[in-house]
Amino acid sequence: MPAPLHPLTSLTAACCTAAVTTAAGSWPLSVAVSAAAAVLAVRAGAGRRVLTAAAAVLLPLGLSLLMLHGLFFPEGRTVLAAWGPARVTAEGLAFALEAGTRTGACVLVLLLFSFTVSAPDLVAALNVRGLPPQFSFVLASALTLLPAVAGRLGAIRTAQESRGLVLGGGALARLAAVRVQMVPLVLGLLEESGHRAQALEARGFGRPGPRTSYREVPDPPAQRRLRAVLLVLAAAAVALRLGASWPAAGLL
Amino acid sequence: MTGAGPAAAVGTHDMLAARINSFSFHGDAAPALRNVEFGVRAGTLTAVLGGSGSGKTTLGKLLAGWHRPGHSGTLAGWLELAGERLEFRGGGDDPRINPAGWSDRVGYVPQDAAAMLSTVRSTVAEELAFGLENRGTPRPDMLREVGRIADLTGLAAFLDRDPATLSGGELRRLAIACAVITEPQVLVLDEPLASLDAAGVIVVRDLIARLTKAGTAVVVLSQSADGLARSAARWLVLDGGTAAAGGRPRELLRSPELARSGVVLHAVTHTAPAVRAGLPAGAAPVLELDGLGFCYPGAGGAAGERPLLRDLHLRVRPGEVVAITGPNGAGKSTLLRHLNGLLQPLAGEVRVQGRSIASLPTGRVAAAVGLLFQHPRDQLFERTVLREVGFGLRRLRGREAGAAADAALDAVGLSGEAGTHPAELPASKQRLLALATALARRPAVLALDEPTVGLDRHGLAVLRRAIDAEVARGAAVILVTHDPLFASSTAHRVLVLEGGALREP
Ligand SMILES: Nc1ncnc2c1ncn2[C@@H]1O[C@H](COP(=O)(O)OP(=O)(O)OP(=O)(O)O)[C@@H](O)[C@H]1O
Ligand SMILES: [Mg+2]
Repeated sequence: MPAPLHPLTSLTAACCTAAVTTAAGSWPLSVAVSAAAAVLAVRAGAGRRVLTAAAAVLLPLGLSLLMLHGLFFPEGRTVLAAWGPARVTAEGLAFALEAGTRTGACVLVLLLFSFTVSAPDLVAALNVRGLPPQFSFVLASALTLLPAVAGRLGAIRTAQESRGLVLGGGALARLAAVRVQMVPLVLGLLEESGHRAQALEARGFGRPGPRTSYREVPDPPAQRRLRAVLLVLAAAAVALRLGASWPAAGLL
Repeated sequence: MTGAGPAAAVGTHDMLAARINSFSFHGDAAPALRNVEFGVRAGTLTAVLGGSGSGKTTLGKLLAGWHRPGHSGTLAGWLELAGERLEFRGGGDDPRINPAGWSDRVGYVPQDAAAMLSTVRSTVAEELAFGLENRGTPRPDMLREVGRIADLTGLAAFLDRDPATLSGGELRRLAIACAVITEPQVLVLDEPLASLDAAGVIVVRDLIARLTKAGTAVVVLSQSADGLARSAARWLVLDGGTAAAGGRPRELLRSPELARSGVVLHAVTHTAPAVRAGLPAGAAPVLELDGLGFCYPGAGGAAGERPLLRDLHLRVRPGEVVAITGPNGAGKSTLLRHLNGLLQPLAGEVRVQGRSIASLPTGRVAAAVGLLFQHPRDQLFERTVLREVGFGLRRLRGREAGAAADAALDAVGLSGEAGTHPAELPASKQRLLALATALARRPAVLALDEPTVGLDRHGLAVLRRAIDAEVARGAAVILVTHDPLFASSTAHRVLVLEGGALREP
């Protein structure tokens, strides 16, 4: 990469890609987008995290899609197999494949964005553009939630290990350990968020009026143009899609 | 300093004043504060002194708008900021404090410095700028202010660091700097010297002197009538949630009210205290550190270039007390985390009871090594005080577990609080509770990180008794402290950690 991507550029790229993929509704494109996102994630060194998170979201989703549409697709004509009310139809499978790859592409692209963007840069960029600070704070908290929870969990584990909790061993021992950590984790996070609100308010966070940003994120003109082009493309794709499906919908 | 005035009571030219007939937290029957009258003038330093649980922090947070009447509790009385008085009767038609407006004029640094951080800023510089950003300060001014305050507070070398990785003393400086940078007219500091080294104490005292000279009213909340408190123009002594006395330090220093309160009164004459005598001779060491080397990943350039710990050696025998002092950021807490394997050395070895702990999980080493963390809140995670001391005890002490937990609570004077939520205890009692969790396990090695911080006179007595009992039992005690008097009066040996290794002072 020549210049680092401005966070808004990567955000725009991710959202536009998701929009275009959804609008296009073609599974080869979805598969291509997913593959590209996976490759980019690996190249950015976030491959494992992105793929694990994607698997956690997509596996249950894919299975339910298969169950729902693969087996019970009302418009299905080409019956491949049938057990009682459940019929596997070619149309149903095609629909499941279509919806599954499309969702997969969107999820991968958005995960790629959230795991590679620098949260401080994104918040700074949004603040400079006059976004309400509460919003950018929520965004920053969401983006740093995983590391924050991990940090808190680490602290609890440290405290418990220092008092004789032995981690490791079999799956059962690990499960037991998770159980003793979850309650303090949740209670700790709740308590902390209360204190945090106090501290933030005291430091002028809820103030009305304009604010400035200490962090400066370079935004080269080329990237601004790129963002405009991407937005136009996405809008065009969505418009085309709507134009194509409206009359059809009207006939139903 | 300003001339005499009536006690710490309200005067006509006060920058910030309060009359608290009573303040109680929602859900509590007894008021946390009652009959307190308080006022601070511009350009003066006022110290609020009191023992553990005397209501200092509650008063400080009320003054600073962190506890808002109606929001956190019910106030009967009034608050007055720059001549504008807000009357509270505890009903629904009470005025509301606007936290943003209030905090513009009154800054507050909590006892737990970490509670000051925004947690969404990734470097010390950005954390410092947070308050300025929210006020819309232009960026060039912000850059200049951040640089200036960092120089004043000794943070210049840390501007690019992640605030979450700072040492205790470094964090204290950051919290104070964050409050000072927005230039409030009143600054309330809760135990501002806690965890600071000698240089840090001078930095903060200079900073306070500079602020009062420029017209800021500074309020210091403290358990100790230390040098900073003695430089105050006025004192307010709190005891049991009420004002016990107020006036000039000279008048109050020998007062029975102060003596009755839990405030620590340091000896004014620094006679060299006797070092603990009677070290048992000949026993094999329980703890051996051999050529320890350590460096945080990514810290201080290439690893091994300027490691934090370097070829560090230490031998501690059963019944021996070793005190470790050293500047902020020297690596004292880091060293203690090696004793039970929370951190693994990059070089050298830790042996406990003759056995290397390199391949043991911390949970196993914990049977022999008890650790008191620098921040007790990091150590407490249970729902009640009793569950907290009882955690993991059964595995270690079997059927004695219940009795051991009770005994440990009794030893630190917390038997009466068995059902309380640890988060609701005052900071000093949290530290004693954390100490109890370590004592209950009867470790062969007891490592204490800044055990005196935030303790009042009674708490210090409890701590000393506990250390004596551990010594009598034959445990080795290693304690890290910035209090030279405490170090030399409790330890057989005092060592300084500096430049990565331990040396005689
Ligand atoms: N996770 C980390 N990553 C990088 N640096 C760290 C990390 N934790 C601590 N440090 C740094 O290592 C140095 C030693 O920290 P440590 O907490 O051991 O100091 P300390 O001697 O206990 O200081 P204090 O007296 O302030 O408590 C400090 O400069 C600190 O900022
Ligand atoms: Mg420390």
